[in-house]
Amino acid sequence: MDVVFNQVFAGLSFASILLIIALGLAIIYGTMGVINLAHGEFVMLGAYATWALQTYAGLGVVTALPLVFLAVAAAGWIIEKVIVQRLYARPLDTILATWGIGIIIQQAVRLGIGPDSRFVQGPQWLTGNLQIGNLVMSNYRLFVIAFAIFILGATWLLMTRTEFGMKLRAVIQNRNISECYGIKAEKVYSVTFAYGAGLAGIAGALITPLFSTIPTMGTGLVVDAFLVVIVGGLGSLMGTAAAAMLIGEVTALFSIVMNDTLGRIAVLAGIILLIRFRPRGLFPSDTRR
Amino acid sequence: MNSRISYDVIGFALFAGVILFGVPAILGYDAFELSTFSRYLSLAIVSMALALSWGTAGLLNLGQAATFGMGSYAMAMHLKLKASGESLPDFMGWNNVDTLPWLWVPFQSLTFTLLAGFLIPAGVGGLIAVFMFRARIAGVFVAIITLAFLVAFQLLVINQQGFTGGQNGLTGLAPLEIFGWVVDIYSVSFYYLVSACLLVALTLGLYLTHSKFGLVLRAIREDPERTRYFGYNVASYETLIFCISAALAGWAGMLYALVLEFASPTYMSVSFSLAIVIWCAVGGRESVLAAAIGAILVNLAEGRLSDVFVEGWHLILGVMFLLVVMFMPRGIYGLIVDAGRALKRQGSRAETVEYNPPDALLSQNRES
Repeated sequence: MDVVFNQVFAGLSFASILLIIALGLAIIYGTMGVINLAHGEFVMLGAYATWALQTYAGLGVVTALPLVFLAVAAAGWIIEKVIVQRLYARPLDTILATWGIGIIIQQAVRLGIGPDSRFVQGPQWLTGNLQIGNLVMSNYRLFVIAFAIFILGATWLLMTRTEFGMKLRAVIQNRNISECYGIKAEKVYSVTFAYGAGLAGIAGALITPLFSTIPTMGTGLVVDAFLVVIVGGLGSLMGTAAAAMLIGEVTALFSIVMNDTLGRIAVLAGIILLIRFRPRGLFPSDTRR
Repeated sequence: MNSRISYDVIGFALFAGVILFGVPAILGYDAFELSTFSRYLSLAIVSMALALSWGTAGLLNLGQAATFGMGSYAMAMHLKLKASGESLPDFMGWNNVDTLPWLWVPFQSLTFTLLAGFLIPAGVGGLIAVFMFRARIAGVFVAIITLAFLVAFQLLVINQQGFTGGQNGLTGLAPLEIFGWVVDIYSVSFYYLVSACLLVALTLGLYLTHSKFGLVLRAIREDPERTRYFGYNVASYETLIFCISAALAGWAGMLYALVLEFASPTYMSVSFSLAIVIWCAVGGRESVLAAAIGAILVNLAEGRLSDVFVEGWHLILGVMFLLVVMFMPRGIYGLIVDAGRALKRQGSRAETVEYNPPDALLSQNRES
């Protein structure tokens, strides 16, 4: 039984990281229909920004978060302005273009900083574990889970309680009509893309003490995060959250019964079936397309 | 339409001439160089296979590498069994597999292997296609399902170490023997074998795209809903082209395993699959011939430039790809077609001012 509880916690921890990555992706996909395959590279940029801030400025992971968010968001904003904005009429081509961007960022980092793994120190005040019975929970992982919930809440507030969120939802529902009402869709798109990229940066910063920081770290994450978005349903925040939980937990629990790889294969097969029978995801929002 | 066929036939004839006579002459019949070039030619087959499903029918298959890998493993399994003789393949012993797995037994026969290299990929591609297209899944979702399948399939191959050699793949293969001819990959005749395969595949591709079947596929690409209203069974057409494309990819995989003398799970990686998409996009996805040329050019450039820019090559490739996607979405083929059209227009303008609205209107509609 202890194994199960520990795996549930491991799944929750994985789900919280997936959630932050997938939220950014979901907002970008839900708003503009752009499948951003460079999202994993934004995560990687966030991780490297954290490493740079810690090595050269002596900032801790948590204090660096706002700076990392801004830095990666700025990178996302520039990429949207220069490249993605030209491709909104051709959604399939955005997959290819963002993948090209991903290669470029990855190789630039590899050439500029080097291919070997970088080490980032976790925060001192979050070392140690919380232990209940035989269930061992690391404090840092608990912090990441709490932070993911905070990000989810903040994004929900942004989408539903601010003027920008209202404009964003209007553009998601019908771009042409919202432009008739004077909403500058292009501006909304740029800000949304930057926000999504910034979230990926935060995810990158948070995983630095858990994963090794290498130029290719984002590639595997983006596939998982993207599947979360598809399973969750287009443009639905709560759907994304539920899907992240589901995929994180199912992956963790499957790996008790089978080994890790077979667990992942089973999850992928389940996702393919789900897309086949519910292409709009588990929790589709009521947008008209 | 007729002029288009004649242009393609001329292009094909030129291409065949270059491949059969030009390239060997330039390379001075050097066995090593020719073997490298036959590697590019086998990759050209998988690139043109993608052009059939992506360029013609608009189905972006990001899992093309999976069917390619099946073909290469089929060939490698046969050659591995031959290399091991009576005993079990060596890696099975290391993984405590005592008897030959049932999956491997039929690969002792060459006929079965050659058929399996086509039919297994075609069958798997067909199953995925039926599964997707019966539910009218289109556009981005096709890309995602095929991508997820590719990732799952590669994980499975790596995981089943005792049956597939895992991460190492299948190495230490015997040379292929057909009708008593032992294939030496460092020979001019092997080069001609691979180029013959490519030319046959291209003939098939050109025939398909210019037939009525190809016309219906282009209609599906432009508007599946409208094609359905005309009474065509869209799902069947999509399934068939997916099968053909998968079979050609398997064929390419068989040749590739021969050229490199091993099969590895990296043939089924996401980055390899996306590389196929790059070749196809650079050449021009609308024409099978252009897609094949794209694969040859990019790989040739990779072979030459990666010696010079060992570190920066992938960066150059990424930038090149991004520029192609953004500024020449129809690839080199699109550039040539546009240039040809501009020349024609100038020629005709000298005589009579020709008004050519349908084309202009069509392209405008497509942009919006």
